[in-house]
Amino acid sequence: MKRNVPLMIAMLGGLIMMIQYFIPHQASQDVFDYYTEWAPLVGSFALILGVGSITRVHVHKIRAKAPNWPFSLAVLIPLYLIPLFAFFLPASIGGGTENPSLFDFMYSRVQIPIQATMFSMLAFYIASAAFRAFRAKSALATVLLVTAVIVMLAQVPIGDLLGRWLPDTGLWILRFPNLAAKRAIELGVGFGMLATCLKIIFGVERGWLGGAGE
Amino acid sequence: MNNWERFLNIDRRWIYLLIAIVVIVPFFIRMGLPVVPTQEVRSVYDLVDSLGPDDAIFIGWDFDPGTEAENQPMGVAVLRHAFARHVPVFVTAYWPLAQGLAEMGLASVFDTRVPGNFVYVPWAEWESVRAAGYAGRDSLESAWEAAGNSLPEGARGWVFEGVDLANLGYLPYFSLVILGMGTSIANQYPTDAYGNNLHDMPILQAHKNLREVDLAVTLAGSTACMSWVVYGTSRVGLPVAFGVTAVMATDYFPYIQSGQIVGMMGGLRGAAEYEVLETEGGYTETTGKAYRGMDVQSLAHILIILLVILGNIAYFAGGFHKKTAMKNRR
Amino acid sequence: MYETIGLSVAAIFTLAVFSFLYKENPLYRFAEHIVVGASLGYSIVVTYQRVLYPRLVEPVSHGQELILLIPAIMGLLYVTRFFPRIAWMSRYPMAFLLGTGMGVAFPYDMQTLVLRQIQSTMIPLYTPGAPWFDTLGAFVIVFGTLSAIIYFFFSKPHKGPFFGFGSKVGIWIIMIGFGATFGFTVMGRISLLIGRVQFLLGDWLGLLN
Repeated sequence: MKRNVPLMIAMLGGLIMMIQYFIPHQASQDVFDYYTEWAPLVGSFALILGVGSITRVHVHKIRAKAPNWPFSLAVLIPLYLIPLFAFFLPASIGGGTENPSLFDFMYSRVQIPIQATMFSMLAFYIASAAFRAFRAKSALATVLLVTAVIVMLAQVPIGDLLGRWLPDTGLWILRFPNLAAKRAIELGVGFGMLATCLKIIFGVERGWLGGAGE
Repeated sequence: MNNWERFLNIDRRWIYLLIAIVVIVPFFIRMGLPVVPTQEVRSVYDLVDSLGPDDAIFIGWDFDPGTEAENQPMGVAVLRHAFARHVPVFVTAYWPLAQGLAEMGLASVFDTRVPGNFVYVPWAEWESVRAAGYAGRDSLESAWEAAGNSLPEGARGWVFEGVDLANLGYLPYFSLVILGMGTSIANQYPTDAYGNNLHDMPILQAHKNLREVDLAVTLAGSTACMSWVVYGTSRVGLPVAFGVTAVMATDYFPYIQSGQIVGMMGGLRGAAEYEVLETEGGYTETTGKAYRGMDVQSLAHILIILLVILGNIAYFAGGFHKKTAMKNRR
Repeated sequence: MYETIGLSVAAIFTLAVFSFLYKENPLYRFAEHIVVGASLGYSIVVTYQRVLYPRLVEPVSHGQELILLIPAIMGLLYVTRFFPRIAWMSRYPMAFLLGTGMGVAFPYDMQTLVLRQIQSTMIPLYTPGAPWFDTLGAFVIVFGTLSAIIYFFFSKPHKGPFFGFGSKVGIWIIMIGFGATFGFTVMGRISLLIGRVQFLLGDWLGLLN
């Protein structure tokens, strides 16, 4: 009941969907259509898990007055305030009806700038890494370095000024040797995915059962 | 500690400062270096350019705010192109946060304070015209204008929701949504992102499923874009074009060569190329945000290459390649 | 008014995050925590408005499509995860989604990621009239892909004319691939920074017209 039934559900579900692909019959199509309508519905409940666990962790921190506990408030307040704004307080900042709501405000003026800036800081880190770690230590490292430099120059307009050969070489690298390398890697990924599918369907891979007790 | 070692151990904040200078200063010294479009971007542009009011495209906002700077200009560029050609556009979102980004992308095309933009006519607003019977886009436009509406100065055209645009919004398990849309778009999306009933919309009556759609452009900062190929192209032969972040772009050249994707805009450069093509094609007066970023991009690349070279000079001149490990490397 | 407040708030948060570059500080940590709560809060709203309301609450409250209660109950089983005694029940929706998801993916993945890719590697090495660099490129695609695959083949020692030479060529090809990725990664990271600078200088300070 606790382990075998879920494993059987996974196997049956997997096999049915796999077989379904090869049966171009209306009944099979109907099963499939139901499935594509149901699955997102089931899946959306998983969000409760995320909200629940994050609440639990931070409430615990606040209660225990753990180090830096006030930051936990910075997680919990927007987490509950944003739905509150959206569902019960569709008010706007300026008071008028023309202005975006508080909900939109939290998204476009708080969420987006923070997240976008966090990612943009990687530019500084990669520059620092380029200076400190990118070394032509061996022949292979030199190939990597030279390719990177050619591609970097080829991708920007200033590369064109140095001569048309530069962007042309950059594109050739991308379209041929880069393609060969990536295809080998993607094929590996593809076979890996197929193996994972089969392992989960046939119950060889059971990691997903974990974390819910015995 | 010799001088080379001291140089290599320089406080990283000096490097940060250099980067900051290089990405700020060029904005004030416009160089306007030419951006030459590549075949990868041109194929996407040409395909959109060959479409018209009887066709339809999907634009998938499949990224989250982290990669907004790269992906958003691509979305805006394709939207402008499609609206200018009256190609009906379906907008979808792969992530919850992407739905807001899609709305912001649309809002920037509908901001009539900016010349060359489009005037958005929400579904509810043209209800009276619709009540008299819908007989195609051209007659709708004349009826709308006859009802006393006129394009503001500088605006490029009308975008009628339900005819030129349907913003479908976010759904979870988007791969399955793509599969489901192979049979019926309305089954997956009973309403659009604003709660309007999709069944009534002319855009949906003309394009009931993905087989009746001519292109999907997916804007992604993760492997989300592959869902369109795996479940759209493979199942119903949907042509798919990528607008992906530069970090991922190199991974997808195999799919261009195999013909599984039509073409690709890679990073801000890809978006800039699309903007250049659009301006050349007469769809926009001037290029946009992505193109403006290209001067900065040029100088930043030069700086990083210089940093690599300097780092290597110090490394070899200081004799560190002979030692097994460097001391105190931060 | 809204514009000014909005842009200023956004700019303050942008600068708060950038302040980390100088030194770790409470302002940065505050922003970092807010984004976690805000993104989840936003997801709750969008998921309810886009999925739960139109697909479940609305039809069921009108007494239509009561069959939708089945996936709803299955979804609710996720919640059992918070009650250790019955936490095992949360495996049911997971089993359903994972199993069926894998079953759906298998044939499509096989077709897209494997078969088509193999097929597209079997190309003519020489096309009459093609420029020399394309012909060279075709050789690189065919033999480069093969060698890179050999390099990743760990079940045989990389020795001898086939595995030994093949894997050596393979690693060179892979390094070129990684070099290209590195170049593009630099490009992408800089672009993201450009986006923020455009926001600060242009949208906020209005200096870029």
